[in-house]
Amino acid sequence: MATSRFFHGGLSDSESSSSEEDYSEEEEELEEDVQNDSDESESTEDDDDDNSDDDDEEEEELEDGNAPDSQKKNIFTRDVVDEEDSDEDGLRRIVKNKKDKRFEEIETSIRLIENAEKINDWVVISQEFDKLNKLATKAGHGDVVPKPYIKAVADLEDFMNETLLKEKAASKKMNATNAKALNSIKQRLKRNNRQHEQDISQYRADKENYLLEPEVEDIPVPLKPTFEGVEPERVDDDSGAYSVVTRGGKAVQLTKESIFKHLKVIVEARGKKNTDRTEQIRTMEKLLELAQSPYQKIRVLVALISTRYDLSSGVLSYMATDQWKAAEIELNTLLQVLEENPSWIIIESGDEWDDDEKSPPTPAPGEIFKISGSIISFVDRLDDELTKSLQNIDPHTTEYVERLGDEAALYKIIVRSQMYFERLSSNKNAGTIGDSLNRTVMRRVEHLYYKPLAVIETIEEASYTLLTSESSSDVLRSDLKKENPATIVQNLCSHLYKNDSTILRTRAMLCHIYHLALRENFYKSRDMFLMSHLQENIHNADITTQILYNRTLVQVGLCAFRNSLISEAQSCLQEILGSGRVKEHLAQGVGPQSRYSTITPEQERLEKQRQLPFHMHINLELLEAAYLTCSMLLEIPAMAAAGSSPDMRKRVISKTFRRMLEFHERNVFPGPPENTRDHVFQAANALAAGDWKKSCDLIQAIKIWDLLPNSESLKQMLSVRIQEEGLRTYIFTYAPFYDALSLTRLSEMFDLAERKVSALVSKMIAHDEIAAALDQINKSLVFRKGVEVSRLQTLALALSDKASGLIELNERVFEQKAQSGAVGGLQENTTRPGGGGRGKPRGEFSGNSGGNRGRGGGRGRGGRNVQFAGERSSAK
Amino acid sequence: MSLEEPQVPAVADATSQAEGPSAIETARKYDLTPKIMPFLDRHLIFHLLAFLRDQQFYPAEELLQNTYDLLEPTNMTDYLMDLWKQIHGKEDIDIPREFLLKREKVMQEWSALQDETTKITGLLENPDVVSNFRSDKMQNLQFLKDNHGVTDDMIDALLRYGQAAYSRGSYDQASDILYSFRILSTDSDKVNQATWGKLACEILTVNWEGAMEEIQKIKEAIDTKPFLSPTAQLQQRTWLIHWALFPLFNHEAARDTILELFFSPNFINTIQTSCPWVLRYLVAAVITSKKNSGSSRAAAIQQKQFKDLVRVVRQELYEYSDPITEFIAALHLDFDFEEAQKKLGEAEEVIRSDFFLQVFCATEQSEGVESKNAFVESARHLISEAYCRIHQRIDITDLSQRLNLSQEDGEKWIVNLIKDTRVDAKIDYKNGTVIMNHPPQSVYQQVIEKTKGGFFRTQVLHAAVTR
Repeated sequence: MATSRFFHGGLSDSESSSSEEDYSEEEEELEEDVQNDSDESESTEDDDDDNSDDDDEEEEELEDGNAPDSQKKNIFTRDVVDEEDSDEDGLRRIVKNKKDKRFEEIETSIRLIENAEKINDWVVISQEFDKLNKLATKAGHGDVVPKPYIKAVADLEDFMNETLLKEKAASKKMNATNAKALNSIKQRLKRNNRQHEQDISQYRADKENYLLEPEVEDIPVPLKPTFEGVEPERVDDDSGAYSVVTRGGKAVQLTKESIFKHLKVIVEARGKKNTDRTEQIRTMEKLLELAQSPYQKIRVLVALISTRYDLSSGVLSYMATDQWKAAEIELNTLLQVLEENPSWIIIESGDEWDDDEKSPPTPAPGEIFKISGSIISFVDRLDDELTKSLQNIDPHTTEYVERLGDEAALYKIIVRSQMYFERLSSNKNAGTIGDSLNRTVMRRVEHLYYKPLAVIETIEEASYTLLTSESSSDVLRSDLKKENPATIVQNLCSHLYKNDSTILRTRAMLCHIYHLALRENFYKSRDMFLMSHLQENIHNADITTQILYNRTLVQVGLCAFRNSLISEAQSCLQEILGSGRVKEHLAQGVGPQSRYSTITPEQERLEKQRQLPFHMHINLELLEAAYLTCSMLLEIPAMAAAGSSPDMRKRVISKTFRRMLEFHERNVFPGPPENTRDHVFQAANALAAGDWKKSCDLIQAIKIWDLLPNSESLKQMLSVRIQEEGLRTYIFTYAPFYDALSLTRLSEMFDLAERKVSALVSKMIAHDEIAAALDQINKSLVFRKGVEVSRLQTLALALSDKASGLIELNERVFEQKAQSGAVGGLQENTTRPGGGGRGKPRGEFSGNSGGNRGRGGGRGRGGRNVQFAGERSSAK
Repeated sequence: MSLEEPQVPAVADATSQAEGPSAIETARKYDLTPKIMPFLDRHLIFHLLAFLRDQQFYPAEELLQNTYDLLEPTNMTDYLMDLWKQIHGKEDIDIPREFLLKREKVMQEWSALQDETTKITGLLENPDVVSNFRSDKMQNLQFLKDNHGVTDDMIDALLRYGQAAYSRGSYDQASDILYSFRILSTDSDKVNQATWGKLACEILTVNWEGAMEEIQKIKEAIDTKPFLSPTAQLQQRTWLIHWALFPLFNHEAARDTILELFFSPNFINTIQTSCPWVLRYLVAAVITSKKNSGSSRAAAIQQKQFKDLVRVVRQELYEYSDPITEFIAALHLDFDFEEAQKKLGEAEEVIRSDFFLQVFCATEQSEGVESKNAFVESARHLISEAYCRIHQRIDITDLSQRLNLSQEDGEKWIVNLIKDTRVDAKIDYKNGTVIMNHPPQSVYQQVIEKTKGGFFRTQVLHAAVTR
């Protein structure tokens, strides 16, 4: 009880524009009040059961403004209306004692003010005015103000104006405190009086009789009892109006006619401090039930939805689930209303319509009236709020799963709004909708691209059936078509390719590539990736897009891995996994903080905001397993081939892998493998030693493979690769110790078909990886002797390699320059003899437009190019 | 000229009657005609269709109908009438009036154009006038305008005249007209059109030197002309690649130039992106051109081309493959000689039924050699080369088997191989083996090899930079 009172007092106090300093004073006062109140209410309980009931209810309302109970409120209002009494009277009857007491207090205050006026003591006036305000709001519960108060305020204003005039004319100034008080009261009074403008003008019009008049003018004029069947309770009333008890306990009459008036008040209060949004929402919910014409409905819904969104401000907090659901339902209703009434549209560049002055617009059939508003921002916000809540909820709880279920409803709304925008864009009169349609389509894509086909099918099916059953309008039905789940992402994306040129297009492309990779179209996704030339300017994109890019890259890599394209997979995954900051790059958690870089809370918050909801995560352990396994298959033979020669050792495929391998080798007592990483590195060691069987077993024992579809065939593939690479490693490692090797023996050792062995060995010979030749008669591999080169010779070779590489580089720079500057010379020299000194980059991720790594080099070269240009121009 | 994509009659849809042996099946499976057609001109496609008719893979009537559909928009009315008769089976059938009307119309237009252009053609034939021409086009035009009252319209009429001539099938004439048009016109777009037209004429009149000139011109035009979109440029390149296939296989001298063109970065990219099937021709061309390597420079170029080829084939294997590209893949990517041999057998079939590659079969008949055709010959060469490089000791019987030869022929073949390519090898007659000697490449040699062109290249670069 006590707290509730306090709460109440605090709130009303805010309205009467209190300032900080008199807060404590007021608190004391309140405590007094509270005591009084409790005494009083107890006494009233004895008096009258009915009254105390009402009183309790009223107090409950006050107590818990956040949880409106419409049922109770209805009872309350009905009571009031039933008694055919004015609101004011009813209230007075209920709280008679309190009220009388308050009135007395008001009278005292007024008297004090009048006295102070006489001696021109503004400090006192100011104090008393504050008190008066508080009392008045308490007495009238904020809305219906007691008449004496009005009188006092009006008089005070007159007096103040007089004083101000005098003050200007007078040469003698009043003292500082007094002047300050005057000034403050001037402002407060103005603000205060604006609220009671009507009453004051009434008072001014008839000063004599104002106080004497019976206080009945506030009785709501009973309105025509229309709008039946909405609420059975209300049918037997003859009043079609609602009255809502607002904060402070005053009842507000809501009628059809006053919808716009109330809306206006609410809209104006938007964004102000201390507006009670829950209250507003409750009011608007009522208004919505009252609203009949589509125009009214639309207006109320638009205001209602935005207010709901206002409830949760702040970056880290997310919208409460029930509010979200309510907003979702209302947005759905809004869209339905718009579908059923095609002559109303909501558009950002809509017409402003002053509802106070003009009657609601009535467009002729076929005509279109534009209401200003933005469906897309509603949809965006709804989506964002869901994501936010998913970010914040612990993913391992049922709550998360339940919340995830709401995605279907959201998806439905997105589809629906897409239909709406499509309708608008096909209509010439509707005006421009900007990029709304594209944004909706993008939202839709972003809800689909990472899902497997079956899930897409379900979600599409669900939204389709929901929409067709829910909506009666033909407009929607005709627009809505069943999309084929296999092609939907492609269709949506091509829409964006055609109609958009902004970042949405880039995102659509990435989503499309991701989707293709998910569905095992490695080549297609890779080609799209390369042809999009995204890697050149992704660094300029915003961070979320960069994250999407990383995700896509990784997904393409996984796709290559699943399709047993080891080197492609390695080079795709290298960039992200080699960095050691996988979590951050994929926005799947904050990586370990570096000791040297301190992150400000601001940055940390931003980072948190970017995190992906759990259900979108790519399994990091799987990623690591795939990456390390690929690296192992490429790196171990390469290391064996390099042997001990220091120059060759420098050619590293995966630095991360080597570092970890070294770390692993440093362990004195290697225990049995515990995690994925241990498995891979022990396998790597076994492979390096030529023990392919052990390596194979270790890799097969990695549990995470089971996450992949058809993991069995993947394991099969991996073991075949291990056999092959094992053979290569073996030959590289032990070649110096053999004169000849029988192919049959090799095929036995590595459990490979003889044909396969000879093909592998042939390849090695042909690529000059080993100095050997095959003997067809004996079916053996004969190593040539005397091919070892001295240190000096190695260096000479390396030098000549570098020299020719340099020339090539220079030529390329010039070529680029010539092409861009249309110099056109030197074209003939592109086909130079004996080229290829640069050596083929291993595991090149190359397609139609050059490789990934090549790109990186290209960028560096670009930089040099600029310098080069400078030299050239100066030389000219 | 006729740059719009011709409406392709759907040869590919010609439903197979599923009769005939598997050779026809393979031929159909690997038939590239439908893929190539969108990139060729009607008049050029006509020859492809004619070839298909000879091959009898598809029902003759359908092809006839397709040919008819193909040529309908052209002005070769007499031929069309013949075709129409053939389709309807009877020689004496009454020809519909439309044909006669059309012929009438065409003739009228033709003569109208002729009248329009008499003056200018007359001027161009006049040696007095021509002798006054300078290298500057504008000047020439001004000269003609001032002295002979030639207008821009008259020159444009010349282009239309050329188009009409081409459309009626008088290619020689069209070629001449377009040539004169090009001399006079300053409108680069129209000159471009004329160049394309002239290329078509040269191809159709089997004037390969002329065609090569035109190809070079078009290539330059594509490279230098600013295109609105990269797609348009890509499309033009694709066309050029397809058109260049005609001289590539029919004109020995042009082969190196065209191959060089195809292997230039822009064009190899075009092949990879928009028409990977051209790889078949690229492979065939590279393989067959291998043996006639003259100078060491040419050999080096060929080596590089071959390397590029293997790379491209590997990259595009997922996008396009036929027995010919698979042969290369088997031989140089997997080193699977048995597979390569199998593919070679299939490739033979494909070559016989391919419009462009059939030339290799033609040579075979005239020479009367036992080997099937030039392509197979070269491919065999390739196999044995790769085989020898890897092996130290080879059983002759085995090798002959690999090459589809008898023991004796195999021996002969090896002897020839040793002679031709100067492989360091000896035949051990007693054991029936060939012993290869692979001398390890000396380090000095390697260094010399690597640094050989360096100085020259640097000099060239230096000269280019200081220019």
